[in-house]
Amino acid sequence: MQDGVLTTAGVLAGLSGAVSSHSQVVLAALASTAAGALSMGAGAYLGTNAESEVLQSELARARSEIERQPYLAQEALLDQLEKEGLSREAGYRVVRLLSSSPQTLLSTAEVKIFGLSRSMLANATVDGLVMGVAFAVGALFPLLPYIFISSTRPALVAALAATAVVLFGVGYFEGWLARRTRWRSGLRFLLIALGAAAVGYLIGLAISPLGGTAG
Amino acid sequence: MLKPGDPIPPFDLPALTDGRRDRVTLAGINSELVVLFFYPRDFSFICPTEVTGFGKALSLFAAEKTSVLGVSVDDVESHRRWAAELGGVTFPLLADQGGEFAKACGVFDEREQVAMRATFLLDKKRTVVFAEACPINVGRSVDETLRIVRAYRSGRLCPADWEPGDAFGPGDRKY
Repeated sequence: MQDGVLTTAGVLAGLSGAVSSHSQVVLAALASTAAGALSMGAGAYLGTNAESEVLQSELARARSEIERQPYLAQEALLDQLEKEGLSREAGYRVVRLLSSSPQTLLSTAEVKIFGLSRSMLANATVDGLVMGVAFAVGALFPLLPYIFISSTRPALVAALAATAVVLFGVGYFEGWLARRTRWRSGLRFLLIALGAAAVGYLIGLAISPLGGTAG
Repeated sequence: MLKPGDPIPPFDLPALTDGRRDRVTLAGINSELVVLFFYPRDFSFICPTEVTGFGKALSLFAAEKTSVLGVSVDDVESHRRWAAELGGVTFPLLADQGGEFAKACGVFDEREQVAMRATFLLDKKRTVVFAEACPINVGRSVDETLRIVRAYRSGRLCPADWEPGDAFGPGDRKY
C-alpha cells in the first residue's frame, strides 16, 4: 500500500510544481494511479506465477527422484538429520519411522533434502489482485484532497499531510507487527515519504521551464 | 584398489560374530574361499539389504566352502546395535575404525570417510581372485557374488551368466 501512497504523493508533488492546471494534475495523477495499480498487479501476478511454475517443476522433479530411488532419499535424509545433530542411530530410526508412510517421507524429503515446500506455493491471481488493489487504495489518500480541494497548493499541503499520516500509520502498524519500536518505525516511513515528495516537487520545479507552464 | 592376483593385506580386527564380541584375523580363517565385502556405514538404508542378503545366503556360501565377512568403519558396539536392529547377523562384521584396512585394500572413500561398496573374493592363498566396487548408492547382488563363487570353484571356463548345471566352455582353452 505504501507504494501507492508514495508514488502518487510523489507524482502529485511533481505535477503541482510543473503543471498549472489543477484538473490536469488530478487527471494525470489518476492515470498514474491506474497505470501503477495495473502494473503492480500484473507484476505481482507474473512474478508469483513464474515462481510457482518453477517451484512446481522442482517439486515434481524431487518427487520423481524420491519415488524412483527411495533408498537414496532415505540416505540423504539420514545424512541431513546427522548434520543437524542427531546421532546416526537416532536419525536412522526417525527415517525408518517416516518411511512407514511414503507420503510423509516424500514431504519431509522435499523440505529437508531439496529445500522445497508446498506451503511456498502462492496464488498468483490473489497476489496480483491484492497488490493492485492495495496500490490503488494507497493512492487514494494523497489523491482525495486534490479531488475535493480545487486549489493546487492547499490540495498539495493536504495531500502531503494525508500521506504523512497514512505512512506514519503504516510504519506504526509494521512496527507493531514486527514487535519493534512503533513510533520509530512510523517515523522512518514518514521521513522516506517526505523525502520522496520533496525530491519530486524539486524535480518538477526544475523541469517546469521546459514546458513553460510553471505554476 | 586390489585386483585379481594381489594378496589381501593381513588384518587383525575387532568384530561382532553372531552377537558376540570377537576378533578376526586373516590367518584365523579356515575356509577354502572368503568373500570380503566392505560397506559404507551401519544404520543406513542400502547396506542392510546387502547384509541381510548375505545372511540369508550364508548356508549357500558355506556349501561352497566360503566364509563371508562384512567390513565397515563402524565400531563393534555400533555393529551390535545395528545387527540387533536387523534381527541378528550371524557372520562376522569387522570393525575397521579409521578405515586402515579399507585403505590398505584401496577401497576407502576419503571424502565420505567410509569404505566403498567393494567386494573381494579370496582364494586359499588369500589372493584376490575377484574384485568389484559399486557406486556408493548402488547395492550389490548377493546372487551374483554366489554365482561368481560357484563359477570360480568349478575350475572350468564359465560363459557369461553361467549357472550351475549350464555347459562349460571348451576344456582345452585357458580363457
